[in-house]
Amino acid sequence: MVLGNYKTAVSARAADAEILKCSQDGGIVTQLFAYALEEGIIDGAIVAGPGEEPWKPEPLVATTKAELLAARGTKYTISPNMMLIKEATRSYGLDKVGIVGTPCQMQALRKAQLYPIAMRKVPDKIALAIGIFCMENFPYMGLETIVEDHCATKMESAVKMDIGKGKFSVYTERGALSQIPLAATHKYEQPGCHVCLDYVANLADVSTGSVGSPDGWSTVFVRTKKGDDVWSKAVAAGYFETKDIASVKPGLDLVTKLATGKIDKNKKTVEERASFGVGKGLRNPYI
Amino acid sequence: MSKVVEVSPTTRHEGHTKLVLKVNDDGIIERGDWLSITPVRGIEKLAIGKTMHQAPKISSRVCGICPIAHTLAGIEAMEGSIGCEIPDDAYLLRVILQCANRLHSHALHNILTLPDMYLPGTDVHINPFTPEEPVRSVALRIQKLREIGQTIGEIVGGEPIHPSNPRIGGMYKNITPRAQAKCYDLLKEGKDLAREHMEFMITVLKDWDARPTASVAAGYEVEKTEKFGFHDQGYMAADPLYGSSNLDAEPRWYPERWTEVRPWDWYMGEQEITLDDPNYPNHATTPAGGKAWPQMEACTAVPMYDGAPVEVGPRARLAMFRNYDRKGAMGLQIARQMEYMDCFYSALEALDALDTSGSVIADEIPQGDGSLGWCANEAPRGCDVHLAKVKDGRVQWYSLLVPTTWNFPVCSRALEGAPWQLAEVIVRAYDPCVSCATHMMVVDEENKVVAQKLVQ
Repeated sequence: MVLGNYKTAVSARAADAEILKCSQDGGIVTQLFAYALEEGIIDGAIVAGPGEEPWKPEPLVATTKAELLAARGTKYTISPNMMLIKEATRSYGLDKVGIVGTPCQMQALRKAQLYPIAMRKVPDKIALAIGIFCMENFPYMGLETIVEDHCATKMESAVKMDIGKGKFSVYTERGALSQIPLAATHKYEQPGCHVCLDYVANLADVSTGSVGSPDGWSTVFVRTKKGDDVWSKAVAAGYFETKDIASVKPGLDLVTKLATGKIDKNKKTVEERASFGVGKGLRNPYI
Repeated sequence: MSKVVEVSPTTRHEGHTKLVLKVNDDGIIERGDWLSITPVRGIEKLAIGKTMHQAPKISSRVCGICPIAHTLAGIEAMEGSIGCEIPDDAYLLRVILQCANRLHSHALHNILTLPDMYLPGTDVHINPFTPEEPVRSVALRIQKLREIGQTIGEIVGGEPIHPSNPRIGGMYKNITPRAQAKCYDLLKEGKDLAREHMEFMITVLKDWDARPTASVAAGYEVEKTEKFGFHDQGYMAADPLYGSSNLDAEPRWYPERWTEVRPWDWYMGEQEITLDDPNYPNHATTPAGGKAWPQMEACTAVPMYDGAPVEVGPRARLAMFRNYDRKGAMGLQIARQMEYMDCFYSALEALDALDTSGSVIADEIPQGDGSLGWCANEAPRGCDVHLAKVKDGRVQWYSLLVPTTWNFPVCSRALEGAPWQLAEVIVRAYDPCVSCATHMMVVDEENKVVAQKLVQ
């Protein structure tokens, strides 16, 4: 069960050319939120908006398509989206909140819904949670080192960053491409990521990521009744092009392989932590 | 020969109080002592040494019905001490919060008071929880009004109960235009409901006033007396809606006119209970033969304004600012209903004037030099005065004079001349909220603690 529970899995991409132009892969998150906004399924979404420094995202409550478009693309450093979950229902005045996040953020979200301590009147306002596949994350300074030192690219010049096929790639606005082996980036990962046992956001309504689908497409897992409802309506309304996941290469096998790899590796870290030091092992966050 | 009867605890209000009543042979109260038996919270002592930002948040935790009033009064007392002026938009947000608080509190009180009242034209007490019409739709309307008040409090204040958004120097965050529109819609929806509701409540209350007999909830009927719940004390209010602080150009509350006496000097001494009634509604009164000692048991100080107790609350506000003149327990109740519309119109006006992109925090927040600051916030139940001294960002001294503390001695006077079986109707007219009304610091002119007798 490394891929979690899901109703359907497809390979898909957004039908809107404008969204695809600057999206990471299939533009799934942007397109699905845009559809949900138009249809009134949500009245705002918490996304990783542009921050003050290049590639340092800041959570943003997007209530228009323009704001969603500004937040397109993956940033490989954390955007603390959960920070705004309460505020979105308060001074932003939202009743139906959408949120996108990494698997750990989805865990935080569901935990907040289950035990709403200091989250009064928040749980029932979560209308759509989209999870993104995540192997690990870098702290901002780590990302800066990777891009500026290893890839020899100024952060301001980068227009897209990507991880795939064993490489970390940075594309610049002048068309240059700088690539380093992914192995060189491992030491910059956040240590917290090494105890995470979730690759494909098992707790989201819909989770998505590039792995398993061809370039320019994304793999989508529709997990909950709520997610299924939104997704099937959006597909029926022509907002997405879809392909059967069984017909595409590399398909779910690769997703399963990577998910298993992450979980096995991190389980070892969790076990090691249990006997870390002398008589003061670190707690397993999953029990 | 007068007898002593004790109703303990009194019911259908916030907190714990009791009534110790000296009554004549006809059951008419000759002297009434209404006192708080809620234990002292110690907020004023807890706050000392804390930062000025922390203290108002702690004081708001004293209760969950008017935490907005306590937060605002506490914060503005601190701001008064350090001399910090807040931006206009922050003030407008606070006004909206104030209205939201008053709205949901008044609506809650309706639920508590309705079981004493009758459906006009019948002898049936109103049970707000019945599924039957017409009461059902009244209850739903009350719930809707409360929901509107609390939702606006949640949006503007950050939390439906204890607001997190107000801070020293203004507010943490302004609201978005969407939130502004949402509040506006809610208020427009509630405005018409509130007018209907106000008219219903006033009809019911006037009907009660016109009856020759009445009973407490499902109890037995007692003949009412003329001038039911009248008293001759004065009124105190700082503002029809919001409040006043020492930073105002013309402050409307005067700390030098305030004094406090010990409950020891105000309430009756030890009494033997000589009258009881096993049929008293809800629970029997204390059996005869027991003892009551109001001056030892009261958990409040007795605050005075110009040396006499004063009434605070809806009637005080209307009397001082709008020449309202209906006396008695029902006069106070009717005044409360008449405040509904002001909550809506003032909040709408403030929302209209609010600039959602304006700054809501002062550019500079001084740290204070230990001078006295005070704020008299017009909480739902009356004038909630907080006084504070802040030096170098820390609270040196903090005092809370909360509405029901002011009303305890006044209401005790208002009990005189009423049949004791209906004393609770008078108490409930004051919408007592007793948790915060436990205040025990009594000082003499040199600010020395003189309440030693209590501590013995």
